Amino acid sequence: MAACVRVASLVVRDYRNLASVALEVPPEGLVLVGDNGQGKTNLLEAVYVLQLLRSVRGARDADCVRFGEAGWYVEARGAFARARTVAVGYDVRRRRKLVRVDGAEVPRLADAAGHLPSVYLSPDDQRLAGGGPAERRRFLDVTLGLASRAYLASLAAYRHALAQRNAALRLARRPGDALEAAAVWEPMLARHGAALWRGRADWVAGQATAFAAHCAAIGERVPVTMALRTPGAAEGRTDAESLEAALARQRPHDVRRGLTQAGPHRDDLALALEGRDLRVVGSAGQQRTAAFALRLLEAATLRAACGAAPVLLLDDPFAELDDSRAARILALLDAGGLGQVLLAVPRAGDVPPTLSSLARRTIRDGAVT
Amino acid sequence: MSAIDDLAAELARLPGIGRKTAMRLTYHLLKQPAEQNRRLAVAIADLSERIQPCARCFNLAEGELCAVCRDPRRDASVVCVVEEPADIAAVERAGEYRGTYHVLGGRLAPIEGIGPEQLTAGALSRRVADGTIREVILATNPSLEGEATALYVQRQLADTGVRVTRIARGLPVGGDLEFADGVTIAQALQARREMA
Repeated sequence: MAACVRVASLVVRDYRNLASVALEVPPEGLVLVGDNGQGKTNLLEAVYVLQLLRSVRGARDADCVRFGEAGWYVEARGAFARARTVAVGYDVRRRRKLVRVDGAEVPRLADAAGHLPSVYLSPDDQRLAGGGPAERRRFLDVTLGLASRAYLASLAAYRHALAQRNAALRLARRPGDALEAAAVWEPMLARHGAALWRGRADWVAGQATAFAAHCAAIGERVPVTMALRTPGAAEGRTDAESLEAALARQRPHDVRRGLTQAGPHRDDLALALEGRDLRVVGSAGQQRTAAFALRLLEAATLRAACGAAPVLLLDDPFAELDDSRAARILALLDAGGLGQVLLAVPRAGDVPPTLSSLARRTIRDGAVT
Repeated sequence: MSAIDDLAAELARLPGIGRKTAMRLTYHLLKQPAEQNRRLAVAIADLSERIQPCARCFNLAEGELCAVCRDPRRDASVVCVVEEPADIAAVERAGEYRGTYHVLGGRLAPIEGIGPEQLTAGALSRRVADGTIREVILATNPSLEGEATALYVQRQLADTGVRVTRIARGLPVGGDLEFADGVTIAQALQARREMA
């Protein structure tokens, strides 16, 4: 197995403003220099698609198609977790996504994710620390889902059963019928919900010390901590039996509200500065530091899961940092074995000294030279 | 040429048939003798007129009761509950089952607007209330919806005293352990049996 994931060549067609890009990538990586709006971010986003099979920015597949085209296509060759080529294509007319791994079509999209492990860092990451709980739940679910098939399967089953129970709460004409119709989804919600709680709690417990250490190493002088908050667990009990009992107990209330109250869909990965909510008391810089620390943990988790350092997609993440902070973050990434780096910056002068030896390409109007 | 377009448009509404295939089928039918086309048309028209749900089990039936319910050799004290009539054909192909059936007409899926009222679970409860049925085998699919549906039916029958069983899940016969997915293996391990 490769010590790190390496993209040797990349093909992108009709993805956002990228009409046709064919790019050879050196083993240590590449710097893409280009003004805003030229396609740097789109290229990194296209590489990330090969991991999660959808946009890192949450865009719909159809919205990523270059204007007037029939679909988009992204392909990478190299040394990956379990493959040598990964390709994802989207067809607008058939609204269908096709994934090929080593040339063979993957019939179930759930089995196709994670072939090209990567971690995406951008200035938007501040939202990860400063935004609502949904941002951090998504972070947990993406990180743990890519690291563990069992977690991913539980997540898909949980979301599906939750949507069915919520619909059942509203579908019945008589409240009594709604109680019966909602109840049948609860054993599944309890089993998969408890599995999600177990996965999240284990991860947070295992990474809490590293998180605090990363924040300090990046340069934060006040102690920063993280903890899993579970407002959807009755008295903090997160086992399947307790969740099933809580769902049953709150059923009449849920019928009135038309929404399921108990369960891990209300979790938050609470970040605190000396015990106070980082979202409220943290400065923009402190929130960005915490977000970087989370990305470092994400990289370490993927590395542990696939036995190789993931590709680092750096979308000008050090824009508002001084060189010394950027260098410390890179040093922390390096400590676990720095993977291949794709760095996008607006000006050549924005490349941190640590990465100055990387080859450079220019991107203009969707074309790489 | 509206007759050609009309038929192509109707054919294109069938599952698995696109516009191109519909045109190809239409031109093929044009070349056939008129008598053969008439037989096809009559067969299609008869389908809706002659086939209806069985009054007892909601299987497809010609007449009031389906072939299984009419058959005196079938054991009417055992009922196998399935989602769709096509599932009956699958169980029948195995040739092992001698009981009768009950077709629910789908599975619970509230996001698609399918609740208990859209299924024939109520009719099943009334059949069981008659007292001739000893065992109800729940053979809904092993999907989230199928499991929820099985649980719903089981709870509806809980007070009747009838024996309710669920078909086993596990490894397919002739399958390779190496290629089975994790969920299947986990369930097969859970449902393991003592070797006699």
